[in-house]
Amino acid sequence: MKKHKLKSIAPTYAVLILFAIIWVLPLIIAVTKSFTINGLGNYAYVLNYDKINYFQVIFNSMSIAVISALTVTVITALAAFAFSKMHFKGGKIIYGAVLACLAVPIAAVTTPLFSVIKNLGLLDSHFGVILPLIAFNAPMMLLMLKNYFDTIPDELLESARIDGASTFRIWYEFMVPLSVPMIANVLVLTFIYSWNDYLVPLLVMRSESNYPVTLAAQFFMSSTYQSPVDVARIYAVMILLALPSILVYLFSQKFLVAGITAGSVKG
Amino acid sequence: MNKLGKKNNWKAYLYILPLMVLSFSLVYYCIINTVAVSFTDWDGMSDIYKIVGFQNYAKMLADPVFWTAVTNNVLFFIGTVFIQAGLGFFLALLLKKKLPGSNLFKAIYFMPIAMATSIITAIFKIIMDPTNGALNQFLRAIHLDALAMSWLGDQKIALVSVIAVNIFQWMGFSMITYYAGLMALPDDVYEAAKIDGAGFWRTTVSITFPMLKSTTNLLLVLGIVGSLKTFDLVKLLTAGGPGRATTVMNTYLYEKAFNDFNAGGAASIGVAILIIAIVMSFLQIKLGKED
Repeated sequence: MKKHKLKSIAPTYAVLILFAIIWVLPLIIAVTKSFTINGLGNYAYVLNYDKINYFQVIFNSMSIAVISALTVTVITALAAFAFSKMHFKGGKIIYGAVLACLAVPIAAVTTPLFSVIKNLGLLDSHFGVILPLIAFNAPMMLLMLKNYFDTIPDELLESARIDGASTFRIWYEFMVPLSVPMIANVLVLTFIYSWNDYLVPLLVMRSESNYPVTLAAQFFMSSTYQSPVDVARIYAVMILLALPSILVYLFSQKFLVAGITAGSVKG
Repeated sequence: MNKLGKKNNWKAYLYILPLMVLSFSLVYYCIINTVAVSFTDWDGMSDIYKIVGFQNYAKMLADPVFWTAVTNNVLFFIGTVFIQAGLGFFLALLLKKKLPGSNLFKAIYFMPIAMATSIITAIFKIIMDPTNGALNQFLRAIHLDALAMSWLGDQKIALVSVIAVNIFQWMGFSMITYYAGLMALPDDVYEAAKIDGAGFWRTTVSITFPMLKSTTNLLLVLGIVGSLKTFDLVKLLTAGGPGRATTVMNTYLYEKAFNDFNAGGAASIGVAILIIAIVMSFLQIKLGKED
């Protein structure tokens, strides 16, 4: 019996392991090669690089991603509450109009976006990156939260209303606590998408001191990588730059996976 | 039955106000501006421009590069979605057996989604380097020199390489989506199939896959959306080259706007993308509901 079972699960494991190897191989190659020639020296080189300060880069990405994620979460949680639980003129039309932009790629509207950021005086600033990220991530997150809010029974909120709670208190004392899993999804997802975005900082940022992770990675790529020393150093750069998002992924994996399937979003 | 308060609850407008200011206004400004600019000869910077009617559209439709870009977007969609969905479905089936370690496999397949395309492309660009890249070094080491190609520099293979990197990044998404779908299927169907003596493959082809039709449709729509959004991947791996082998609509638009200073021409491509994107938004919402 036991032998039979082993025979039937062996091929399954073989396939799963084969694909797991393919999927981790690029990272393994990067890590191994990053230690060649100078060993940890490659990492020291990156951390002491004068034009681009690693910790500054991480700080830039962190502030962009955190502010975008928090803002998107708050504004979509407020709006989803109105769209899901209140009656108001034009509500359905406005909701439809917001969702129509769900699949609109930022890349399709780069010229007007650039001129808006320029005219607002936000070129080469964190807020110049944060604003478009909020604007273009919000529709998807609104859809996810509104769908979730729809599953919370009206009667629950109605009883709070009878007890004399104000609309805003109903929002933060009932709606938000009851929706913590989906709110966490939206938070993590917007964080990851903002952290990983390349196009918006490419349009907005000018000085190296403002570069987020995605631009810093390409800054190092555009320098030559012909000699094995350069290759080792570039791999060290990529490992160091990828590390924070990998850590965030490991800690928030549950929310991220749930969030991505709940909204069925592609970034 | 009555939602919060009266028929027309004016407070609702306060709740949607921040979203309207920070998202709606900017997104719609960009869309309307793109449509408006597509009828001008604006260079994207100066204050002077002429209204040129449908000239940008006429030029776009007569431009062979535009059609190359459209074709590449379609090929990208087809190449990505079928391999990605097929592989994702297959791995989801294996993971559904819930053998020990399943969660670790899921985490590994899914991880590239959390990584920036900017970093993934950097790593693959070096791995795929024709002389120093790990891929060709490996192929030469096992005496398959003939297969050691210029993965990103050869017109014939570049698009395939770009698609392969995209599959690497997004396969986990299809896998997780199918996995969620599989988990939601009722067990009694399988019991019935077992009693009828249907084997694993038979059950998969004639029961499991058809029952996940809505998941597959959703992945198809998201594949179109994903292809339409593709920019960093191509810009950073090949910059649309060699020649025009990997140019997609977004990279062509970017080139027109920021290299050729032809904002009008870029906007006409933008409008083409926007029309498809808005249709896809509604399809995505509709299929998401069925799922």
